[in-house]
Amino acid sequence: MDTSPAADPGAAPMDPAAPTILDGWPGGPLGFRQRSIRYHRPRAPFCGRGDCTGCLVRVNGRPNVRACQYRPGPNDRIETENAWPSPRFDLGRIFDLLFPRGIDTTRGLLRPSAARPLYQRVVRRLAGYGRFPTPTVPSPPSAARRLEAEVTIVGAGACGRAVAARLALESPGPTVILDRTDTGPGPAGALRLYRTTAAFLPPPSATRERPFTLWAVGPDGEGLRIDTRHVVVATGGYDANLLFGNGDRPGVLTADGALALAAGADRPPFREAVVVGGGARAAEVIDRWGEWIGAVVAPGSIEPEVVARAAAHAIPLFPRTLLLRARGFGRVTGVDLAGRGSGPTFHRRTDAVILALRRLPNAQLFFQAGARLLWHPRPGGYFPRLTDGGESSIPGLWGVGDVAGDPPEDPIADGVRVAEAILGHRPSGEARPLPRWEPTELEGYVVELAARRRSRGKWVACACEDVLLHEVEEAVRRGYHGIEAVKRYTGLGTGLCQGRYCLPDALLWLSVLEHRPVPEIGYITQRPPVVPTPLGAWAGLPEPEEESS
Amino acid sequence: MTGPRQTDYRVAIVGGGVIGLYTAYRLARAGAGRIVVLDRGSYLSNGASGRNGGGVRQQWETPETIRLAREAVEAYRRFGSEFGVNPWFRQSGYLFLADSPAEVERLQAVHRTVTQEGLPSQWLTPERVARLVPGLSTTGILGASYLESDGTLYPFPVVWGLFEAVQNLGVEVCLGTEVYRIAARDDRRLSVDGAHGRLDADIVVNAAGGWSSEVARRAGVDLPTRPVRHEICATEPLKPFLDPMVVRASDGLYFSQTMRGELVGGISVPHPEGLGPGMTTSAGFLVRYARAVLGLYPALRDLRVLRAWSGYYDESPDGLPILGADPSLPGLVHAAGFGGHGFMLAPAIGRLVAAAALGERTAELAPFAPGRFANPSAPVRNREKLSLG
Ligand SMILES: Cc1cc2nc3c(=O)[nH]c(=O)nc-3n(C[C@H](O)[C@H](O)[C@H](O)COP(=O)(O)OP(=O)(O)OC[C@H]3O[C@@H](n4cnc5c(N)ncnc54)[C@H](O)[C@@H]3O)c2cc1C
Repeated sequence: MDTSPAADPGAAPMDPAAPTILDGWPGGPLGFRQRSIRYHRPRAPFCGRGDCTGCLVRVNGRPNVRACQYRPGPNDRIETENAWPSPRFDLGRIFDLLFPRGIDTTRGLLRPSAARPLYQRVVRRLAGYGRFPTPTVPSPPSAARRLEAEVTIVGAGACGRAVAARLALESPGPTVILDRTDTGPGPAGALRLYRTTAAFLPPPSATRERPFTLWAVGPDGEGLRIDTRHVVVATGGYDANLLFGNGDRPGVLTADGALALAAGADRPPFREAVVVGGGARAAEVIDRWGEWIGAVVAPGSIEPEVVARAAAHAIPLFPRTLLLRARGFGRVTGVDLAGRGSGPTFHRRTDAVILALRRLPNAQLFFQAGARLLWHPRPGGYFPRLTDGGESSIPGLWGVGDVAGDPPEDPIADGVRVAEAILGHRPSGEARPLPRWEPTELEGYVVELAARRRSRGKWVACACEDVLLHEVEEAVRRGYHGIEAVKRYTGLGTGLCQGRYCLPDALLWLSVLEHRPVPEIGYITQRPPVVPTPLGAWAGLPEPEEESS
Repeated sequence: MTGPRQTDYRVAIVGGGVIGLYTAYRLARAGAGRIVVLDRGSYLSNGASGRNGGGVRQQWETPETIRLAREAVEAYRRFGSEFGVNPWFRQSGYLFLADSPAEVERLQAVHRTVTQEGLPSQWLTPERVARLVPGLSTTGILGASYLESDGTLYPFPVVWGLFEAVQNLGVEVCLGTEVYRIAARDDRRLSVDGAHGRLDADIVVNAAGGWSSEVARRAGVDLPTRPVRHEICATEPLKPFLDPMVVRASDGLYFSQTMRGELVGGISVPHPEGLGPGMTTSAGFLVRYARAVLGLYPALRDLRVLRAWSGYYDESPDGLPILGADPSLPGLVHAAGFGGHGFMLAPAIGRLVAAAALGERTAELAPFAPGRFANPSAPVRNREKLSLG
């Protein structure tokens, strides 16, 4: 095990413009390339950040590799998963057609009892994404590393980098900055770890000099242990999902996806997209791909910044509009919309739906460490409770930037402020009130949507596990109330995305279905790790000398 | 909180896990009168019954445990028809690997006892182990004990099926109702104080799992069970590749592939004694488990851990459950001390505890009597040692 101190190993960022598997794929980055697990519904890239299950492929015999993140070499063998004989002509699609309301695995498939072994075989086959690993290229040997740091910054965006740069002016001790993506050149004076993902931050141990231990996974799947006195979480936010009929169709993607999947290209992977959302994120999407946007649809009002940009491209606006259903099969061909307040249903042709309506924080590390989080109704999410200086309810654990809740006006100044609080130049301060938000009106939106929902097309509440909205409704009807019970009853939130894309919507829907405010619906314990982490990475690490209980 | 509707019950059951609910079910079927189940959690299965690995086996060292397990296997086979909820009980065997001559000796003794009890246990050579689990490295494996009618199930549907069935039989199941104090009244009935207020009952059943000794203390009695925190994790789901539950008793490693394709397993890790504040995960567990799994199954290196969690169960001094009337507080009945295997025995336990609560004296209950630890000078012999976790 390499325990070298924080000497910069010169981890050069990979060329961020290097093509991923998606770039070379027939059908382009949004082409449909796999089937979902239970109903074998067509799936395509959705989040563009390696979290969802829309682009899994088998690479060199290793299952469940995210195509959107993998930059292939010339000899790599890339195969589709979970489709036979091919994604487009998959025989498994019969399950989608035969069971328009889904397969009830809780109460169904019991009769005749002699058929149960057969049902078990079929259901087992349908479960799971890829097949057993048969690596054709051996994995590199475990090269676990152990580092000691004064401050560890998770996330090398503008805020995280500003924290590191300010700390470097005084070098209080080694600083480590890590990021799961290929970030640009990092600040001098910090050990930069690219393509390194923070996986697990247990609650700190008060008795140690460096109370926090952060467990992470490096670019080749190697384990990394960082003992540190401070942790700065600068993991940013992500674009959340919005539930609608056939909302899992290829061509439906988040704003993250729309901005990342053709990042280096001069045209997007769609001809005419509908952008959903009326705030800052929608404006960003229009700034990038304005020419190819056919309409802006918002659950609530549309902000002036979006109105102005839309006018420049002559894009029609549909404020206060319900997104009811996507049409199309292997690719979205249109959407059914309706004005709120019982407006008539109308149709719009489109080949992509970009969800740009709300960003939520990547706050899992706060959850794991046991910090206090609070429900904020406007965007509808849980946010860390932070002081003025950015400190959470756990001393030594800090948050900055989007993860803290308010998109910073000036990321550099924010980073500097947190760094100075860490350095003790300014008091950490009182807990800040939660930030103000632009209205998204999502709670009222879901009430109206629930009233107008038609059963045509599946409403997939959790795409990783193919859990349908009416299964959620059924759970509530049978007396399983609250997200903890519903998660267990339906499996919602237990897939590879760790609940990022289903939970926020599920909370809103449960609040409507159970007629009680979201905080009473509760929240699930965010189980470690933050992202699925290879057994090999854990195995290479030394056992901690003490138990964190 | 869903509080009790009345203040007067025949039986109050503390703990709404699989044991409390099975007991309620048996009592209600026997027409025992008004029954209430009080659980502290805000949702069903908040205790070990919603946190376990779903393993169901009949390979044990003591005939007593084997008999309970056999009865339970039959009940779980019928569960779907009886309760209308599918627990996906899949009987594809438990494979106990022996990795030392001492383990060979111990597991062969288990194999003989199980065979004597009339079950078709098999002793497998390493070659047969390799055929049963392709990809498993048999280096260092000297043999294995295997029983095909063992298996795994999905624990939640069992709890839901019971929850719905007992309610249909008129039992009240209350959530968010922690019990603070149990005390004898003048008329020899018991009063139960808790988050719900106060109610009276003829019989109180302590089915509080990992909290059984705590609940006993709240009734002013001693119960020699010990809470144990056990960690477990699940990986990303793959297509089916593994049929049996694989166990290595020497270090407590076990793993199986669920119906959903996830590899679910754990390993023994020492934890501080007592009940901690949360049910969290330690990095030490993940490191140990990953090393142990990959030592046996190198091809799983890239398989990713999806989530890890933990729960509490309670262990008894001799490894056998503690079932029946408390020797010092009349009316209090214990259903405790199940170690890492309460779920797999629950149907049989429910029947026995219901019998004990109704005052039946069957010879079957004798080995499990709470009074067996009453004499502090008599050494406790650990009888059932094939426990995991
Ligand atoms: C990680 C793990 C893996 C396991 N794997 C297996 C396995 O593979 N096979 C197997 O058979 N068993 C397994 N077990 C053990 C099994 O889960 C337990 O033995 C079984 O679930 C015990 O059921 P119970 O009803 O006694 O306890 P629990 O399910 O824990 O229920 C006890 C209930 O009592 C409640 N309670 C506690 N105190 C109070 C109070 N004061 N007032 C009111 N309510 C209270 C709790 O909230 C809880 O809901 C495992 C356990 C764990 C933790």
